[in-house]
Amino acid sequence: MPTLALPPAVEPAILPGFDENVLDAALKGEPALLQAKRTAAYEAYTTIQNPEAFHEEYRRMDPRKFKFGSFTRLDIPHQTIAYNAQPVDGHYDVVISVTPEGIAIEDRGDVTASGKVRVQTLQQAALDYTTEVEQALGTAIESEEPRKFFELNSAFWNVGFHIHVAKNATLERGILLRYHNDREGSALLPRLLVTAESGAAFALAEQFTSPDGVATLCISAREFHLAPNADVKLVSLQDWGSAGIHIGEDWARIKRDAKVDLFSMTLGGKVSKMTVGCDVCEPNANAYLGGLFFANGKQHFDQKTLQFHSAPNTYSNMLYKGAVKDTGYSVYQGIIRALKNCVGVDSYQTNNNLVLDPGARADSLPGLIIDADELACSHGATMGNLDPEQMYYLRSRGIPESEARRMLVLGFFEEVIERVPFETMRDRLHEVIEQKLNPVTEK
Amino acid sequence: MPEFDTDSKLAQEYKYGFYTDIEQETIPKGLSEDVVRIISAKKEEPEWMLEWRLKAYRRWLKMSEPRWAYLDYPKIDYQDIHYFSAPKKQEEGQEMDPELLKTFERLGIPMNEREALSGVAMDVVFDSVSVGTTHTELLEKEGIIFCSISEAIQKHPDLVKQYLGTVVPPSDNFFAALNSAVFTDGSFCFIPKGVRCPMELSTYFRINAADTGQFERTLIVCEDDAYCSYLEGCTAPARDNNQLHAAVVEIVALNNAEVKYSTVQNWYAGDENGKGGIYNFVTKRGHCRGHHSKISWTQVEVGAAITWKYPSVVMEGDYSSGEFYSVALTNKKMQADTGTKMIHVGKNTSSTIVSKGISADQSSNNYRGLVQVNPGADNARNHSACDSLLIGRECSANTFPYIESENASAVLAHEATTSSISEEQLFYLRSRGIAEEDAASLVVRGFCKDVFKQLPLEFSVEAIKLLEIKLEGSIG
Repeated sequence: MPTLALPPAVEPAILPGFDENVLDAALKGEPALLQAKRTAAYEAYTTIQNPEAFHEEYRRMDPRKFKFGSFTRLDIPHQTIAYNAQPVDGHYDVVISVTPEGIAIEDRGDVTASGKVRVQTLQQAALDYTTEVEQALGTAIESEEPRKFFELNSAFWNVGFHIHVAKNATLERGILLRYHNDREGSALLPRLLVTAESGAAFALAEQFTSPDGVATLCISAREFHLAPNADVKLVSLQDWGSAGIHIGEDWARIKRDAKVDLFSMTLGGKVSKMTVGCDVCEPNANAYLGGLFFANGKQHFDQKTLQFHSAPNTYSNMLYKGAVKDTGYSVYQGIIRALKNCVGVDSYQTNNNLVLDPGARADSLPGLIIDADELACSHGATMGNLDPEQMYYLRSRGIPESEARRMLVLGFFEEVIERVPFETMRDRLHEVIEQKLNPVTEK
Repeated sequence: MPEFDTDSKLAQEYKYGFYTDIEQETIPKGLSEDVVRIISAKKEEPEWMLEWRLKAYRRWLKMSEPRWAYLDYPKIDYQDIHYFSAPKKQEEGQEMDPELLKTFERLGIPMNEREALSGVAMDVVFDSVSVGTTHTELLEKEGIIFCSISEAIQKHPDLVKQYLGTVVPPSDNFFAALNSAVFTDGSFCFIPKGVRCPMELSTYFRINAADTGQFERTLIVCEDDAYCSYLEGCTAPARDNNQLHAAVVEIVALNNAEVKYSTVQNWYAGDENGKGGIYNFVTKRGHCRGHHSKISWTQVEVGAAITWKYPSVVMEGDYSSGEFYSVALTNKKMQADTGTKMIHVGKNTSSTIVSKGISADQSSNNYRGLVQVNPGADNARNHSACDSLLIGRECSANTFPYIESENASAVLAHEATTSSISEEQLFYLRSRGIAEEDAASLVVRGFCKDVFKQLPLEFSVEAIKLLEIKLEGSIG
């Protein structure tokens, strides 16, 4: 039976720029465990066909747009560089900053010293907590078919962190991960492994930035393992400059009574392909997927979600809101999957789109694959422009048209933004949306 | 007529499972240019039609079978099928073969005009040929042409030439190309300008011979301001091997025209082990060519082992509209991948999709639908509602909508739900003294109501009965 995944390859399928020589460079100086993991991932990566425009998942995102071959994998030094504080950092307990020059981990709230949280590079974690990393790294995905870019990242990641939150530990302000890449033609492959012990509760924010006009590629993979009763919130803001290309894979496994909120915000860059999957794998596990995307100019965004129910009595809810303007093109594809005998599943999927200009395009492909009865799974998708009646209401109260549009678009997105756990993130989202609505024309 | 054990379990579930033992003329198995020529010769077709078929055949050779649908079936051997089979012709002036008449009586189709339902004109296709059309004279008075497509090719070649293949070109897809090469019979309806067809037009398709494929070709044309309602029904004998039914239906609606197309598809679906049954691979498409035209599809799909069917509407004319109402039921080991395509091209076009999927036992029921708004389709509107009902732990129900909007003035909404019959609903009915099986049946009937009310009355009653028979034993 056909599936959405890429088919297996007959001959080793290697993407330009990610071959055996590059793997050798990635293996150099790594702990034995990571070397083994990388080699195994490389094997898996070569056995999956390279994406082509005729593959179902890439029909609306020509893989040639990723421009493999014109980017070189960054060799990010392991040593710590000087921490460069930014105004928003005060809102977080721990700030991790990554640039092509190196990394900095800054514990502002003394949470690592108290033993609540461990924030380490994956290399260090592989040495200090070998068994834990061995069990967790690369396994959040086990219920899905192998995925090309997840495996690619698993083999070639050039910066990786392990965040571990101890049993019943709560973080007041959360963790910020900042990636900044200003090297033309370079590829950043960040890897993040998050393990939350039972009862742990915290929030994590991630931000990607680069200067406008600098061509960069990012292939990111994050995985989250939530032990029973953990409560984790994650916000990822893709805020690349105008020439960024982004491919992201997020996977979460949520155990009994645990709850995850995964927010994926796609605003920057030229081309973006984001996949967010969650597996609620024990009874009463709960997942919320929030998404926001706004493509203007010639931006092309593709987001995919997968709500995987591999146990009975599990819950998931999804809300993705998108807008397209100018000649922007957005694609949303999502699947709710309920396995055999997973009764008592309650799952919902909503995708709302605003098509603001002629010439812009939005596609929505929500999907349900249900193999069990006695459950309730549903989805809803809408597409349209701003409601003329709402516009009229505002205009008749003396509000200028551009302001009325701004209010309505911000209001449209607010349903997702208001759930974002960080004020600094919410502010940045508002700021970018406003910029997109009324771009400052360059003199 | 050989005995078909009418007391068997199968017979109670599928009373159309018998076959008729009459003298049939069947050409040998296999497909080649010669077979295409033989079919064309048997139909006494003009040269241009043969050329058209051959072109389609050559195109088909270069195509490969689509495998993207959520269906699982073994490879089809296209050389292991008889492409033509027909009851032996009677001498001129003779009445229809009494065996055939009996068959249709058993199927509940009176071929005798006096006994026929007064409001319905019938065309009956038996394997590869049309064996009779009723009420043709009455319709002729109105200028309506209602006959088999073979007859139309001979008697109205200009009309056929003008419209055939303009909605579903032979190169459209694998099964359409195959059909274009070897199609044998189907109906041709032509409603001239300004005529409102006074009765329902109907075609009954019956597969009888073993190892044959049925390649139906239907063409419906409604000129300006014309209206017609067309019904289609199908059955086949219960056999252990699979048979292929690959149909193409084309509808053209000109300015202000309206066509309503209803199907009650009850092909043999195979037994409880998934043995036998019809492969129903169908391309149905309507083209709203004129402004203010309307094409409406209503389908009740309760049969066939495998269904691959997406009745579509291309709304090219301004202010045109498309509708799709569907009840698809799968039980036992049946698989269905069905839905619609609504293509908005003209300005101010609107479409509605209501799809109800019921899956029971170990079946798999998929809705797959496309709503596409092209850049010039200003003010397009669509509303889609797809509901799935699951009965049994081993069935699956999947929904794959595709919504594409390239116009800022489009307003599209889609909603889908998947659930089982709720305990609460059953409890409510049970507490009022309704037996559990009846209660479940009531809920199912309510679930399908939006679609059944679109059917002409006689069909609607039939459809409800059919659904109940099919679900017997699955619910309660």
